[in-house]
Amino acid sequence: MTAVQAPPRAALARLAGLRHTSPGRLQLLLVTVLALAALTGLVTGLAARSAATGTADLGDRAQPLLAEAETVHAALADADTTAAQAFITGGLEPPELTRRYDEKMAAAATALTGAARRTRDDGRAADAIRAISTGLGDYTALIATARALNRQGKPVGAAYLSTASQLNRETLQPQAQALFREARRDAGAGYDSARSTWWLMLLLVLTVALSVVLVWTQIHLSRSTRRTFNVPLLAASALTVLLMLGCAVVFAHQQTRLDSADRDGSGPVETLADKRITVLRERADEALTLAARTGHGELEVEFTKLAGQITFDDAELGDVRSLMDEAKTRHEAYVAAHQRIRALDDGGDYEGAVRLAVSDETTKAFEALTATLDAALNDRRAVFDAEIGAAGRGLGTLTVLGPLLALAICVFATIGLRARLEEYR
Amino acid sequence: MRAVLTAATAALLLAGLTACTGDPVPEPAATPSVAAPAATTAAPASPPACDARTSWRPSRGLEIPATGRLREISDRGRLILGTSQDTLLFASRDPFTGRIEGFDVDMGRQIAKAIFGDENRLEVRVVPRAKRIEAVTSGQVDLVINTMTTNCTRWEQVDFSTVYFEAGQRVLVGKDSAVERIEDLGGRTVCAAEGSTSLGNIGKVAVDPKPVAVGRADFGACLVAFQRGEVEAISTDDTILAGLAAQDPYAKVVGVPFTEEPYAIAIDKKNRDLTEFVNAVLERMRADGTWKAVHDRWLGASGPAPQPPAARYR
Repeated sequence: MTAVQAPPRAALARLAGLRHTSPGRLQLLLVTVLALAALTGLVTGLAARSAATGTADLGDRAQPLLAEAETVHAALADADTTAAQAFITGGLEPPELTRRYDEKMAAAATALTGAARRTRDDGRAADAIRAISTGLGDYTALIATARALNRQGKPVGAAYLSTASQLNRETLQPQAQALFREARRDAGAGYDSARSTWWLMLLLVLTVALSVVLVWTQIHLSRSTRRTFNVPLLAASALTVLLMLGCAVVFAHQQTRLDSADRDGSGPVETLADKRITVLRERADEALTLAARTGHGELEVEFTKLAGQITFDDAELGDVRSLMDEAKTRHEAYVAAHQRIRALDDGGDYEGAVRLAVSDETTKAFEALTATLDAALNDRRAVFDAEIGAAGRGLGTLTVLGPLLALAICVFATIGLRARLEEYR
Repeated sequence: MRAVLTAATAALLLAGLTACTGDPVPEPAATPSVAAPAATTAAPASPPACDARTSWRPSRGLEIPATGRLREISDRGRLILGTSQDTLLFASRDPFTGRIEGFDVDMGRQIAKAIFGDENRLEVRVVPRAKRIEAVTSGQVDLVINTMTTNCTRWEQVDFSTVYFEAGQRVLVGKDSAVERIEDLGGRTVCAAEGSTSLGNIGKVAVDPKPVAVGRADFGACLVAFQRGEVEAISTDDTILAGLAAQDPYAKVVGVPFTEEPYAIAIDKKNRDLTEFVNAVLERMRADGTWKAVHDRWLGASGPAPQPPAARYR
């Protein structure tokens, strides 16, 4: 034990002894400055790297994952509605509804593949993706069987359709919701890692410490040598200030942009996605109520609840106010059409209700609503992309320049103190 | 559709619709094996004492009283019928037109015709089998005509018209199955609609182990489960099974009917006026050949229409 402890002890003793002589003090200061400058350079590089990676991950993975999860959910809800509408029209399903269903299934499959690429293999998100992939195969098979039976005039086709719809609403959509929740959590974590708060705090402490030691060294030298200024040390100080300023400018810019990407991009995108799902559910409830032919039922109760809850004047959607006002008007128009449909069905005119539900008029009213919400979504996504692109600016340069500046500080500090040290030889 | 109907009626013919002989008395004239279990299966465990086949005697004929439910229906301008949309031949959705058609719907049409002089003044609402009684008692529909068996347990909650059709429970299995009767299905899965008498009957079969009854929302869902291999058989009234078998060439209906299922029209207990009116309509349909015409239209391929079940009153 003692043999092992002896050398460090001796070294410590020698180091402590250095404090008592002038060259010793200078040597200590030099070592401290070099160590701090090296650390500052390293941490500058790492902080910039971490912030750049986090920002890029947010823009290239977390946010697209959120969009894909939303697409999966919306496409599933839309496919369910479309299948139900095709069913209630009777006879062969209208080609435009077949096309719409095919489009939605393709959109869901594509988004799901994208989402699978952007998630880790373990965890809730991957589980949800696996469940949806499996269920999607089952779902399309059931719908295809329903179509084939319908084509042969066999009423059991209707039972296949409702089995498919049940699978969609009770298994697939809840899994899509789970995926969306996970993606949302991922995006939240993405913002945290892009902000790299711990790295920045460490960097702040180091730069402050470096500045203090540099200033202290110069005060010490000017007292002990009667030379007021040490030019190389002044240069090192100037470079330190430059490094601090550079970090401050780049990181402040990044944090501001991240804040506005969150406030004006991600936040509104999530809210709008929620609204789009809500209106798609309304439309599905309407079609399924007609398909079940039970009159005013549970799904109609759900419709009333959803239509009552949805809002278009959220404070965070202030930037797309005009689009939201338009969406509000269009939603009101659609709900009015829906109430006419219900009045017809409840009044005994089922066939009239079906005709109105799948009429161009109602379809256009509803599609105008989703198109407006889409426009608002795209607007906010563009803002997000722009802000995230801007947030990443300067971080790459800082990753390289930070360590280089720190190296220059080391060089100047060494030159400045070597000259003084030589005087003691 | 025509081909399916023909196939379905042919299946009915093959099934030898023994219960549908239209015998005026409850004891079926057919095999004694039908009569024996009928006494135990007509109602569950402790059957309330009653004669479920009897209904209220029409006291006013086809006249519409100044007050009461019948007057409300007349003022409303349409009769609301609760039924299913997946019972081929009795009430199923025609995939070509989207309309619900069949024997049961035609019964409703005849009642609408007697009220309004127009058989199209009929609104068809689909009611899940498990919610049929609730639909009647809550007033959601005026009456339920839905291959619904009249029995004493149900009489506690709703009134029934006189019997308009005689059916019996049998079994549907795969084409290659060795099963010949319900007793052969001990320990195996058998599907029936929730809220149907058939589902309860499956659990009462005298065999050990008993068949495992699997409930689905309706018989269409049972056929989906059967085709997807989730259940091994479906057991319900021969009438419904014939409609299912007609849609699946790999299915067959086997065994003799092991229960008696007299179909009647369910009406809320508060609306005695409507029950009496419906009985009067049924009376007229039996007499003037309309019942026979409806039978020929939907079940004609199973042979000439039998005598309609005779009305019995309490």
